[in-house]
Amino acid sequence: MDVVFNQLFAGLSMASILLIIALGLAIIYGTMGVINLAHGEFVMLGAYATWALQSFAGLGVLAALPLVFAAVAAVGWVIEKLMVQRLYHRPLDTILATWGIGIILQQAVRLSVGAESRFVKGPELLSGNTEIGALVMSNYRLFVIAFSIFVLVGSWMLMTRTEFGTKLRAVIQNRGISECYGIESKRIYSITFAYGAGLAGIAGALITPLFSTIPTMGTGLVVDAFLVVIVGGLGSLIGAASASVLIGEATALLSAVMNDTLGRIAVLAGIIILIRFRPRGLFPSDTRN
Amino acid sequence: MHARDLYSYYGKSPVLQGVSFDLAPGEFLSVLGRNGVGKTTLLKTIMGLTDRCAGALAFGDSDLLSLSTPQRSRLGIGYIPQGREIIPQFTVRENILMGTFARTDGRREIPEYLFEMFPILGDFISRRGGDLSGGQQQQLAIARALAMDPKILILDEPTEGIQPNIVKQIEQAIIRLNREHGLGIILVEQNVPFAREASDRFLVLDKGRVVMSGRSNELTDSIVEEHLTF
Repeated sequence: MDVVFNQLFAGLSMASILLIIALGLAIIYGTMGVINLAHGEFVMLGAYATWALQSFAGLGVLAALPLVFAAVAAVGWVIEKLMVQRLYHRPLDTILATWGIGIILQQAVRLSVGAESRFVKGPELLSGNTEIGALVMSNYRLFVIAFSIFVLVGSWMLMTRTEFGTKLRAVIQNRGISECYGIESKRIYSITFAYGAGLAGIAGALITPLFSTIPTMGTGLVVDAFLVVIVGGLGSLIGAASASVLIGEATALLSAVMNDTLGRIAVLAGIIILIRFRPRGLFPSDTRN
Repeated sequence: MHARDLYSYYGKSPVLQGVSFDLAPGEFLSVLGRNGVGKTTLLKTIMGLTDRCAGALAFGDSDLLSLSTPQRSRLGIGYIPQGREIIPQFTVRENILMGTFARTDGRREIPEYLFEMFPILGDFISRRGGDLSGGQQQQLAIARALAMDPKILILDEPTEGIQPNIVKQIEQAIIRLNREHGLGIILVEQNVPFAREASDRFLVLDKGRVVMSGRSNELTDSIVEEHLTF
């Protein structure tokens, strides 16, 4: 029984990271229909930025978070301006283009920082464990779970409670008429892309104490994040949240029952069956046409 | 607003071919013609929604053809498109507030007179735009344009497919906006009697060209017979 609870907690911890990554993907896709294959590399950039800030400036993970968000958002903003913005009329080409950008970013880091793994210390403040009976929960993982909920609520507020969010939702539903009412859709797209990239950066920063930081670390994570977006329903925040918990927990529990490889296969098989019966995901959004 | 020798293209095909017209401040111009002659395209060209344009199009001192669509809207051009194009997922309030995004003074309040002009919008303020009837959506689209405090309204067949009791309301509102609020109006219309009654001048388009223009009292039955009946 203890094993089950501990695995449930591990699954929740994984789910919280997946959620932050998938939110960025979902917001970018939902807004501009761009499937951003460079998203995993944004996560990787966030991790390396955290490592650099800790190694060279002595900043801890928590202090680095806002800086990493801003830095990776800036990278996303530049990439959107230089490349993605020119391809809005050719959505299929954006897949190829962002994939290329991902490869370039990965190689750039490998050439400049090196291919060996880097390690980042977790914050002292959150170093211990919280124990309830036999359930042992690391404080840092608890923090990550809380932070992901904060990011989810923050994104939801941004979309529904701010003028930027209203403009964003107007552009999603009818770009032409939005422009006829003074909304600069290109600017909205740039900011949205930058925001999604910044979220990926934050996810990268948060996992540095849990995973080793290597140039290819984003690839595996982004595959899971795509699964979350597909299962949750494209462009749905609630869908992304519930699907990340579902996939995180399923992976953790099935891995414990069988082993990592078989657990993974079982999760993928489950998703294929789910998509067969709900091709648009658990919470399909009807906003984009 | 002044247009000289205006061409407008979708892809490579020129839909407008050398259109010229003038509209003084506060003037009411009706654009008439059969289906598919370029009336809607003329309004889209004013908003910058076609692929490419040539010729000259000025609004006040501004050269419209060099401006983006959002920039044009901020000059005070309120566009009410065919099919209304309100945002179905937005509430009535959000739809009207959307109009204020084109204001240059940054104010975000809904003018009170809109609810006096269209009381139904006040009653349904929290309903989703997509749940309104066609006529109510049309009133909402006009209110949205008025929320930007425009200098000129351009309307594309605002009474098309709308229940008759609301048609009368909308026609009276358009006339009142022109006469009492001094708004310039360009109205694309199939309804010749209303165009004759409401407008100062008219323009008849055929195959992308202006084939006839003049003061409204010159809009005779023989013109209607020749260019507007099917």
